[in-house]
Amino acid sequence: MSAQIQLQNVSHTYQNGFKALHSINLDIAAGEFLVVIGLSGSGKSTLMRTVNRLIQPNEGRILFEGRDVTSVRGDELRKHRASIGMIFQHFNLIGRHSVVDNVLYGALGGMSTTSAILGRFTTEQRDLAMSLLGRVGIADKAANRADALSGGQQQRVAIARALMQQPRLVLADEPVASLDPATAHSVMDHLEAINKEFGTTVICNLHFLSLVRRYATRVVALRAGELVFDGKPTDITEEWFRTIYGTEAEMM
Amino acid sequence: MSSIKIPNRFVTVLFDTLLGGYLAAILWRVIIPAITNSVAAPFGSTDWIVLCLGALCLAVLNISVNGSVAYLFLTGTLPAHNTGKAVTRHVGWLALTSSILAGWIITDISPLEFFSGEGLQGAGRIFKALGTPNFDIIGEALSAMIVTIFTAFMATIVAVPVSFVLAFPSSRNVMNRSNVERGIYSVLRAILNIVRSLEPIIWAIIFSVWVGIGPFAGMLALVVHTIASLTKQYSEQIEAITDGPVEAIEATGATRLQVLWFAVVPQCVNPFLAFTIYRWDINVRMATIIGFVGGGGIGTLLTQYQGLSKFNEVGTLVIIITLVVWLLDAASARVREVLK
Repeated sequence: MSAQIQLQNVSHTYQNGFKALHSINLDIAAGEFLVVIGLSGSGKSTLMRTVNRLIQPNEGRILFEGRDVTSVRGDELRKHRASIGMIFQHFNLIGRHSVVDNVLYGALGGMSTTSAILGRFTTEQRDLAMSLLGRVGIADKAANRADALSGGQQQRVAIARALMQQPRLVLADEPVASLDPATAHSVMDHLEAINKEFGTTVICNLHFLSLVRRYATRVVALRAGELVFDGKPTDITEEWFRTIYGTEAEMM
Repeated sequence: MSSIKIPNRFVTVLFDTLLGGYLAAILWRVIIPAITNSVAAPFGSTDWIVLCLGALCLAVLNISVNGSVAYLFLTGTLPAHNTGKAVTRHVGWLALTSSILAGWIITDISPLEFFSGEGLQGAGRIFKALGTPNFDIIGEALSAMIVTIFTAFMATIVAVPVSFVLAFPSSRNVMNRSNVERGIYSVLRAILNIVRSLEPIIWAIIFSVWVGIGPFAGMLALVVHTIASLTKQYSEQIEAITDGPVEAIEATGATRLQVLWFAVVPQCVNPFLAFTIYRWDINVRMATIIGFVGGGGIGTLLTQYQGLSKFNEVGTLVIIITLVVWLLDAASARVREVLK
């Protein structure tokens, strides 16, 4: 079976000269729950953003479901991004807008500019948004302003927004780094449920080994932009964890 | 002291050369004629020679003692390698004191006139007239004030949509995808800066010739200035947004306009409103001044009464202007507070 996502010799250097990725080769199969670990600045976020092309890498190729998306532009790029949901450490909701509107924005990728700006979301889209809010357990907050919610609730809205895209892949960039442990587990449980129920591939950046062991089906580690580990979560020993995070690191 | 930027050698020599020319000019054309009480002749070739000599003197001084007056003014100290610190300092003091002296002469400062009996009597008469306003013209004054307020209001209303649209291509963080975009950004910013540095009163003079004296000319003058000012304020706000929501909306596959509308605009709405209300407040004050040069409204009425030396009527107008400006200022401050 061919991989859903293939990164071939992907390198990226930022304009300020920082070399974030160094010749990454990585195949990810559909349905995997891949966790990426590594220090801040090791290239995790950059790697993730090359997949949905928020970043265009300087070198290498990216294949998504067999199609080369390395340098797609315009409508093709929009369509590519629309098929991939993304959630962020700081949730990145539109704070002044209502919760349900934030979920509806997941549908922007399939809408014309004018109908979106005029707010012409269809009844089906509205129903879907409400049912997704129900799924993540905050349907009662639909009319509230997004910034009035707690961190955990905001991240669940963000998950609903990503699901609104009916994605075949979800990218999660340190989704629980701003949350307390209990809330973190609830957010991770939602991601796991999506992965198991719909077979949606998940790529998730994490810092905590306990969460890695609990949720990942496969783990890769980055150090200074290079892939230094690729294996099962159970293969990560404390020693490995130290090589990735430095000798000061403690098992968490 | 590390925060001080050391001026480069070329800049300091250029600065000293210009300073030399300037010093020669004020000594030769202002201070010496004032002391000798002679009437200055029209600017001629002798003056140019003196100017160039002065410039040459300081340039030579700068190079020969390896230090400069520019350095002294910019940093407050002199570099260690300067071999003529005393001379440099003296030139610095000379520049400062002769500027103050020349300024005194040029602005015709005269304590004698300020405290002369006749002058004080005149001032007393005006203050008395202003203090006993003639309220017979209240109807005329109020309708002129209403013209001024609406001139400012319409100018703001017309300018807002234009500024809103222009603000996006005038923001660095929006126009960063290609060199063409960065070029458009730079050109727009430059045009806005030029337009903004032309005072509305100049625009009013231009438009009063173009469309004739009256509130319409005043409104057009304010529109031009308001577009330039609001666009700058709006775009600075756009540049201050957080990038997270932009990234999130981009990741859904939204178009560029959708990203601006759904991720950028919500972060800017309140500041935009606050800027707009404040601008209307400023425009009412500016519309009054613009009236002096043909922009209609209460300003025009005031120049008319002042021209006829009817100071009781001028007093009425001053009271109304003060009251309206104060009320609007308080109201707009209140609204802006709420919007914070």
